[in-house]
Amino acid sequence: MGIENVGTSDGELVRCVLAGDTGAYGALVARYRDRLGRYAVHMLGDRQDAEEALQDAFVRAHRSLARCDDPERFGAWLYGILVNRCRTTGGRAARRARLFVRDDAALNGVPLPSPAERAEWDDTVRWALGRLSPEYREAFLLKHIEDLEYEEMAQLTGAGISALKMRVKRAREQLQVIFREAERV
Amino acid sequence: MFEDRQDPVERIVSHVRHPVRIDPALDGRVMQEIARGESVRAPGAAVAGWRWLIRPRQFAVSPLGALALAAGLAALMLALPRRGPRSGLPAEAARREFQFVVVAPRAARVALVGDFNDWDATRTPMRPAQRGGSVWTAVLPLSPGRYRYAFLVDGSRWLADPAAPHVHDDEFGAPSSVVTVGGS
Repeated sequence: MGIENVGTSDGELVRCVLAGDTGAYGALVARYRDRLGRYAVHMLGDRQDAEEALQDAFVRAHRSLARCDDPERFGAWLYGILVNRCRTTGGRAARRARLFVRDDAALNGVPLPSPAERAEWDDTVRWALGRLSPEYREAFLLKHIEDLEYEEMAQLTGAGISALKMRVKRAREQLQVIFREAERV
Repeated sequence: MFEDRQDPVERIVSHVRHPVRIDPALDGRVMQEIARGESVRAPGAAVAGWRWLIRPRQFAVSPLGALALAAGLAALMLALPRRGPRSGLPAEAARREFQFVVVAPRAARVALVGDFNDWDATRTPMRPAQRGGSVWTAVLPLSPGRYRYAFLVDGSRWLADPAAPHVHDDEFGAPSSVVTVGGS
């Protein structure tokens, strides 16, 4: 599913963990930390939330490791747990009240370093993705971050293939509209 | 920002495919939590004692003995403190999470201080939303009530929230803001 492994296979590591070598789980965490983190960061739009979701997904996966039917596909199984976890976090974050403060003294007093284009795009992408509904954002990211087939996406999300195709298509259309509107401002 | 003629959706696609680096310290936190969970699950002496206590047994009791046992059990039931099955839950359920956000571009560290943490700068450190970034955040569950709060930048500079009602703190002489959490 677009996740490559180097060195000891996932299956071997999972078997070591199940045999009592908890340390082997550390290798799996290190292997998938950044790869899954990318999805969580873009899905939740907040690094702290993403790290919490990721940590929780790893812990839950360890707790239920015996239920991982195909240890060689541990990555795909873990991805499914993270997708679910992001759904709950996303819902909770949306209900949060936000208290937003600017340190104006610091902003006015010091010329801010001009942001690099990459950093600017970070903000732009977060803003644009944040305007999509969670279902559209989820489908868009699963399709485009991991290049998943729709069958794989259906397994991860529990949604039907045609619904997922529609969500990806609508997400792309909405992003076009969002950017066209932003250009007019 | 949008002068680039490349299809913006394709730019987003290529952007989200860039590697994202997650703090490797996360590995340690995961392993710690797992170790904590395992030590909780491991049957200790108390669990073994409880299992021994609830193990099914057969007793031979005479009619007089049964009467004495029933009286003893009744006395025990009366002596036990009454514990409502959901005691304490309503207050817990009413807690809401608040995300505090402050933009402090030159700060090396920022702490959220207020009535909810006894104005202790060590208890609620804020974290940068992005490494080296200027946006600092902290999430705090708050029960219904009225709280004074402020941000402490680099251990010495106090910031109040310009968007929230201000109060002047007589104890410290520093400005602070007020947040009121409703019970609903």
